[in-house]
Amino acid sequence: MPVDSSIKKLLIVDDSKVSRMLIRTHILAQHPKWVISEAVCGEDAIALVDKDPPDYCTMDINMPGISGTHAAEQILSKYPSIKMVIFSANIQETHQNRARALGTILVAKPVTEKSIALTLDYFANSK
Amino acid sequence: MNNFSELHLDALTEVFSIGAGRAALSLSEIVGDEVRISVPSVQIINSEDINSTTLSLNCGRFGAVSQHFSGPLNAEAVLLFTEEQALKIVSDMMGSQMSTDELAEFEHEAMCELGNIILNACLSAMADILNFTLESSLPNYTVASADEILHRLKKNTDQSYILILHIDLAIEKRHTAGNLVFLLSSASLTNLIIHIDQFLGSIHE
Amino acid sequence: MSKISATAPESPTAPSFSTLPAASMQQEAKRFDMDDIFNSLNLGVCVVDADGKVLLWNNWIAKHSGIKEADALNRQFEKVFSESVSPAFLTALKNTLAYRLPVVLSTALHRTPLPLYNAFEVNQQQPRMYQSISITPIQSQLNEPCCLIQITDSSTSIKREKILRSHSEILKKEATTDSLTDICNRRFFDAHYEMAVADAKRQKHPLSIFMIDIDFFKSYNDYYGHIAGDNVIKQVAAALKSQLSRATDIVARYGGEEFVLVMPHLPQEIAEQFAERLRNAVFNLVIPHINSAPFHQITISIGLCTGIPKNSDNMLNKADAALYQAKQKGRNQCISLPLCEAEEYLQQ
Repeated sequence: MPVDSSIKKLLIVDDSKVSRMLIRTHILAQHPKWVISEAVCGEDAIALVDKDPPDYCTMDINMPGISGTHAAEQILSKYPSIKMVIFSANIQETHQNRARALGTILVAKPVTEKSIALTLDYFANSK
Repeated sequence: MNNFSELHLDALTEVFSIGAGRAALSLSEIVGDEVRISVPSVQIINSEDINSTTLSLNCGRFGAVSQHFSGPLNAEAVLLFTEEQALKIVSDMMGSQMSTDELAEFEHEAMCELGNIILNACLSAMADILNFTLESSLPNYTVASADEILHRLKKNTDQSYILILHIDLAIEKRHTAGNLVFLLSSASLTNLIIHIDQFLGSIHE
Repeated sequence: MSKISATAPESPTAPSFSTLPAASMQQEAKRFDMDDIFNSLNLGVCVVDADGKVLLWNNWIAKHSGIKEADALNRQFEKVFSESVSPAFLTALKNTLAYRLPVVLSTALHRTPLPLYNAFEVNQQQPRMYQSISITPIQSQLNEPCCLIQITDSSTSIKREKILRSHSEILKKEATTDSLTDICNRRFFDAHYEMAVADAKRQKHPLSIFMIDIDFFKSYNDYYGHIAGDNVIKQVAAALKSQLSRATDIVARYGGEEFVLVMPHLPQEIAEQFAERLRNAVFNLVIPHINSAPFHQITISIGLCTGIPKNSDNMLNKADAALYQAKQKGRNQCISLPLCEAEEYLQQ
């Protein structure tokens, strides 16, 4: 993977603190200089993006309040340049199709080195 | 139970959410339709404190799928739905317009399978994330009143803790709420905490 | 209960497992051959190893798959069959091997995961057997993870359920239907009437009881014979039934040539109009009856009682009293008695 020299901004959206910690830890292990912010629900994420749009975003689906899919839709319609990955353990076809239609990809939870590698690869290489 | 922190609970919720997601995936493959299962909350209580409110068991009869687990945790897991909900779930899963009588004959087996899918998915998520494996019995399905269920949950005195997951299941457009209850001995709860601590420790490395 | 039966490696299980000396010693201690047991079981038993290779294939599964043990052993489970194995089954097998958790596949959701047949013949045109399957993790004596697959034939249980159900449905229908006219019988009426009255009392809504009698039926029977008489009863029953359209309404044969209708939620006026419709429906059958003056055809008399029943009211008696009035007043007509006024007529 080409090492990203520029500093990127990443927003992690997940209601689980443990999940956010996992994503943060794994990503910082690869890109120690990235600036990472966190949101605990879709509504917060939308507000945060409006204040300071990130380069990348990881989005959980099942959260209190609006669903991750819904939040992703709103964010991407306003900021199409943000690259987003949706994390879910539920990777049934309808969800994959929905993610694809939004212009994102669905990555299977749990958060592991493998899923983070997929995520980073998508951030670096997708157009 | 005192050393069970918010972070432990958050980790468990995440583990079970992943389990629920996997269960939804397997179920959707079987029913050929969209299935969503989520775990909005997890709580741990003393088994003496269990009552019909903690389990939101109001009245009527309940379908209970149970499996026994052994290994680092010794637990009895019971998945509870009202009998009426159970029949609707079976009907949705079978995707047919059968009468209630006809469904009833499939209820037992189909509910065993549904419980088995959800319980195994939760355990496989535990195995992957918390890094331990459990052995399990085959599922058993019984229909009983709320009183009978509470009595059964309480009578096992060496399992002093109860882990309750509230489960939302949606097949097609219908939402159903149920509970997944794990009965744990204090030794098992301690083991569970050790494994969660190990997992949390690995994040900070 | 906490003992996991399927993970008991201490029992000598399959021939493939008995390669160790310890196992054969254990087996010698038994006074019967485990192979005989497996092959006599009335369920399918199969063991596969971690690579999905078949280690045990009992007679039952050989018989219902048409595949001999020798052709199954040491081959990939899904490749043993010439037809496809359901993806759900393969996923379940994979999961059991990966997570060591038992899996059940119910008939309700899978029906026929494996190509198994009840009576196996060369042409495979017949439907597959309905199956209930459980897959449990076990360990070989070499500590290899394996899976035990148990298959039962659920078609017999489904069939039995269906037969029992259709029997009970027939019995239920026979118990409540009048065999001549195919409308409700007296027994059904008695039960229904009680409930209908109780409902009307509780909900304070009106109930209408129509007592109906075929005019001069005895002389019809005497003149035209019993077979013709039965025919008239059938035609009248059908004519009355054809007027009903709501699920709450019933018509029953009360006895002989008498019928009764129970209809909730009708205002007095509508009930009276409906009685007139009933009378017309029979009149329009135009069944000749030489001894019935003045029309010389089959007619009916109707006694109607309508109202919100209270505790002491016996609507049936009042409808009967009204019917008596209708007969007295010349037949082929309807007399309606509201509940409260009916007493006077009974006095007469």
